Amino acid sequence: MLQLIADGLIVGSVISLGAIGVTMTYSILRFANFAHGELLTWGAYLTLTVLGFVVALGGAGPMQPIGPFSFGWPLLAALAAAAVMTALLALLVDWLLFERLRAHGTAIVLVIASFGAALAMRNLLQFIYGTLPDYYSREIQIAIRLVPRDVMGGMRITPDQLFVLALTAVTVVLLHLFLTYTTLGKAMRATAHNPALARLTGIDVRAVIRAAWVIGAVLAAIAGVFSGLTVQIRPGLGFDLLLPLFAAAILGGIGSVYGAVAGGLIVGLAESLSVPLFGAEYRAATAFLVLIAILLVRPTGLFGERN
Amino acid sequence: MMALCCNDIVAGYEPGLPIVRGASISVRRAEIFAILGPNGAGKSTLVKAIAGLVPILSGTVMLGDEDITAVPAHRMIGRGLAFVPQTENIFANLTVADNIDLAASIMKVDKRRRLPEIDDLFPDLARQKGLVAGRLSGGQRQMLACARALVTSPRVLMLDEPSAGLSPRLVGAVFDNLRQVRATGVTIVLVEQNVKAALALADRATVLVEGKDRITGPSGDLVSDAEIAALYFGHGGAGKAA
Ligand SMILES: Nc1ncnc2c1ncn2[C@@H]1O[C@H](COP(=O)(O)OP(=O)(O)OP(=O)(O)O)[C@@H](O)[C@H]1O
Ligand SMILES: [Mg+2]
Repeated sequence: MLQLIADGLIVGSVISLGAIGVTMTYSILRFANFAHGELLTWGAYLTLTVLGFVVALGGAGPMQPIGPFSFGWPLLAALAAAAVMTALLALLVDWLLFERLRAHGTAIVLVIASFGAALAMRNLLQFIYGTLPDYYSREIQIAIRLVPRDVMGGMRITPDQLFVLALTAVTVVLLHLFLTYTTLGKAMRATAHNPALARLTGIDVRAVIRAAWVIGAVLAAIAGVFSGLTVQIRPGLGFDLLLPLFAAAILGGIGSVYGAVAGGLIVGLAESLSVPLFGAEYRAATAFLVLIAILLVRPTGLFGERN
Repeated sequence: MMALCCNDIVAGYEPGLPIVRGASISVRRAEIFAILGPNGAGKSTLVKAIAGLVPILSGTVMLGDEDITAVPAHRMIGRGLAFVPQTENIFANLTVADNIDLAASIMKVDKRRRLPEIDDLFPDLARQKGLVAGRLSGGQRQMLACARALVTSPRVLMLDEPSAGLSPRLVGAVFDNLRQVRATGVTIVLVEQNVKAALALADRATVLVEGKDRITGPSGDLVSDAEIAALYFGHGGAGKAA
């Protein structure tokens, strides 16, 4: 039981980080971006590539792990660089595709375009990296026993998983501080609420849109690497997470950052807790049962605005 | 020199479908100028076009001696033109303080000097700075919308139907605020349905009909103008004139 909760929270962290991006592009650009999952995949693979360079340049052979973790500083450096590259990729796709459609197209045109963008991005990635799974590190991790076996089945967790949980928490707190206290953060919330009024307030909506892409893409890269770290790196990594990401964003109330975090954790927990009940094949379906159940009670989602 | 001058504005939401069809208005410094007219005349479209929210197809807008016809909406407050739309004119998801601060931060206003002035103008709001703006009453929302627009010390303040949906007592309060604002040297342009109250407040007014300015003159003259009477009271418009 405890073990399932821990596993659920770890999967939920990845989903939360991804869902924040989905909800942010939705609230500022007013469309559901189905290409968001690909940003997770690209973030994971770009990190792998940069990691290769960093380790090769370091010349010290395989990456030296930090303490109990399976990875070392090179991975964190690679993640930072890849996050920047993923943000540039998101801005590039926006410039090539979405910006042009925004001028005239309706939301549905943008949504369909995002399907196309997802396909193009995934195929390009497979073309470059191939289809075989990969790993950041071949280090074997010893799971730490946090709770003895006789207390609710006990709980074991690897240091990497603890790292993912902690860094997700830190990221969400930082994002909260950013949105609450900085001018850009407030401008983003203002634009999400009313773009025309935002312009009248002196906000350059194009700058806010760029900020939304950058934040969404950086969080996607982090989520992608976390997924690669705790599971494996695959070309389908982001696509397989797409439905949980949307389930989480909708569950939390689309447009709400805190809702996306809560929704991500709930979806992760629901998937994990359903495994002993229905078997692993049906874990994705469980997330949707929870989604439907919550929407029946609260049609606007957990943190959604009512109007 | 005029504070705000529109020459032959043609504007609309879609190309080939002008809503404002050659409107001209000239507003003097520190006067209160009302734009009146029947429903659907294009009053809102005209002020939105001036503010940069609706494309101007032809004509020019001068703010003082600057041509602001092609200035994008988000640069208007930097030029000294602020606009309060009729509806959804506050950020309901931000606090009262953030609603006011946001424009001030973006425009790098000296907040230590300006915020107390805004507090003096709107003492009601000053007491509720921490409240989420969506919880304000209708009258307070309208005041917050004005405060948000005024914090950057615009030269010209445009408002679209600031009295809409307010009780007569609150309309009085909002109009009193506008008189105070004008007393600080700000030029005010307001769209109004409430013809009597608007003409009592404004120095001059124009009546917009089918996207064109039909009659312009001092409020006193318009009150007794037969054509206004016909426009508002003659053709079944009595209900809207109130
Ligand atoms: N966003 C829009 N897109 C397309 N047409 C619009 C839009 N807003 C208004 N219109 C049309 O423009 C015309 C003039 O509308 P406008 O709101 O400017 O009139 P108004 O004089 O402000 O009327 P009211 O007194 O009802 O506020 C109307 O026929 C309306 O249908
Ligand atoms: Mg109107």
